[in-house]
Amino acid sequence: MAETMPDTLIGAMAPPVIRSGPAAWLRKHFFATWYDAVFSVLFAVLIVWVLQALLQWTVIDAIWRVENRDLCTREAGACWAVIESRGRLILFGLYPFDEQWRSTLACLAIIVTIALSCLPAFWSFKRLPALWIAGFGIFVLLMRGGFAGLPLVTSEQWGGLSLTLFIFSGVVVIGMPLAVLFALARRSSLPVIAKSFGFFIDIVRSLPLLALLFAAAVVVPLLLPDALAGNKLMRVVVAFAIFFAAYQAEIIRAGLQSIPNGQGEAAVALGMPYWSRVIDILLPQAFRNTLPSTINQAVITFKETSIVTIIGFFEVMASGNAAIGNGEWGNQYVEVYVFLALIYFVFVFGLSRYGAWLEQRMRLGHD
Amino acid sequence: MTDAAITIRALNKHFGDYHALRDIDLGVRQGETLVICGPSGSGKSTLIRCINGLEAYSSGVVEVLGLQVGDNTQILDRVRKRVGMVFQNFNLFPHMTVLENCVLPQIRALGRERGAARLEAMAQLTAMHVETHAGKYPDQISGGQQQRVALARALCLKPEIMLFDEPTSALDPEMISEVLDVIQDLARADMTIVCVTHEMGFARAVADRVILMAEGRIVEEGTPDQIFTNPQHPITRDFIGAIHS
Ligand SMILES: Nc1ncnc2c1ncn2[C@@H]1O[C@H](COP(=O)(O)OP(=O)(O)OP(=O)(O)O)[C@@H](O)[C@H]1O
Ligand SMILES: [Mg+2]
Repeated sequence: MAETMPDTLIGAMAPPVIRSGPAAWLRKHFFATWYDAVFSVLFAVLIVWVLQALLQWTVIDAIWRVENRDLCTREAGACWAVIESRGRLILFGLYPFDEQWRSTLACLAIIVTIALSCLPAFWSFKRLPALWIAGFGIFVLLMRGGFAGLPLVTSEQWGGLSLTLFIFSGVVVIGMPLAVLFALARRSSLPVIAKSFGFFIDIVRSLPLLALLFAAAVVVPLLLPDALAGNKLMRVVVAFAIFFAAYQAEIIRAGLQSIPNGQGEAAVALGMPYWSRVIDILLPQAFRNTLPSTINQAVITFKETSIVTIIGFFEVMASGNAAIGNGEWGNQYVEVYVFLALIYFVFVFGLSRYGAWLEQRMRLGHD
Repeated sequence: MTDAAITIRALNKHFGDYHALRDIDLGVRQGETLVICGPSGSGKSTLIRCINGLEAYSSGVVEVLGLQVGDNTQILDRVRKRVGMVFQNFNLFPHMTVLENCVLPQIRALGRERGAARLEAMAQLTAMHVETHAGKYPDQISGGQQQRVALARALCLKPEIMLFDEPTSALDPEMISEVLDVIQDLARADMTIVCVTHEMGFARAVADRVILMAEGRIVEEGTPDQIFTNPQHPITRDFIGAIHS
């Protein structure tokens, strides 16, 4: 949006003769007036300068191998040696070194599961749950081990990227059905249910996520017997999912409200039962109407997973901090953060592109 | 064929303080075609929606095919499976193909197998002359075609009564007749029909009886000829005059 000039301005200033070709295009978009021309040249110089500096730092002057780490000085370019040396710590956290292949496989299993569940072919009430039970099952078996000669690794030692992906997908997979439930309850024709769920949603939304996660990690075990409290990671994921659901429920509710009454009425008149009206008619349209906000909510959630550091989980961000925190590579924090940013970028950008693809697909009517 | 399909007695409906239906008494025989007309806001839609329980009423009796339409949801379910309805705005499901629009309600309402439902759907779409659009989405076909799909969708459930609420009011003029024609076929095939419409030619051709509503009451009732050529009530005269001009 930001890089396009207002059409009206260009329209008003454009010369009356319309020519085509790249020169005309350049002229129309960048040199229509003298101040357009000045800004265009200024920005072109700025962009070239920044790109050149970036290239110099990231590639040309960069030091890649650990053998050459003595060359890493303030004057030199990026010191990617830190990634070679600390990459595994960043990606796997405190997971035992010899078992990290398991974490890699678990990570792949989750990525494959996420990718498959993004395909409309898997959107059914049999396939989606089956897929996620399998995905989480493989993940936990691999990460935890304790069978067939695989040493036991408890969830306190899980870390890095696979923990981030596990938390994110756990939150969305538990949170999304909860959100649907909350949204439907809030629209219930029984005032008691509608009011109490509305109240609950508003309370959750007005609490800081951190407070909620702290309560789940620290307070819940004090209140519940051990058998019910489950492990800390589970509790944190569930609390996070409730937080996600409170926000997502409002998005879904808005989506439901945007559907014309006639849709539900037609389904009623056709004798379709309540559950079918909700699942077949209302929810697909509600999700379709709110796809951009839903993707947005997922992106925010992905980024927010790093908050679990504070209650002692070494997800990828915390592992990155650990990689520079011990002094040896303390000067290379920029490189480590760039690497972390790239990891986040791959997933978040992937999510956004997926959202755009879905929207396009739905606009064509093929659901 | 003299059994009552619909019996309405002393029906009253309030929207808050607003008295939308006042002491309606109405009977519809099996196989009869009844046309309801009247000025905007006179309660035509409200009346027709009370018949399949889309609208809850305040007092009175609504009996459809021997079943009491009321609060009992099980009875309402049974009524809705036997009474089809077509709306002014078609209300096709936009996220499903034409075929799926017709298949899904059969599966969900009647528990039919998908294969049988597809056969039935294709048969009804063919009867409505829209079978070639089965794979399209509703927004890819014209209004007249959409309304015929909506009719096919309702007929797939083999209803004994069809309700129409201004089925051609949202259509471009050139598409009105293609929809009225299929409704006319249905009337000739002895379907029990209650149709809200202002299409006088249609009413004359197929209606056994016309009722005229104003301000929540039935003000006049008779054959199409009586109502359209020799109206008695002043409101009827004004109204007939208005739709003639
Ligand atoms: N849900 C509602 N809440 C409040 N008032 C309503 C509601 N539905 C209808 N009404 C009112 O009841 C009266 C009758 O409405 P109805 O829709 O039955 O009229 P109609 O005869 O079908 O009119 P039209 O020809 O415009 O469709 C109108 O005055 C309308 O404003
Ligand atoms: Mg109406």
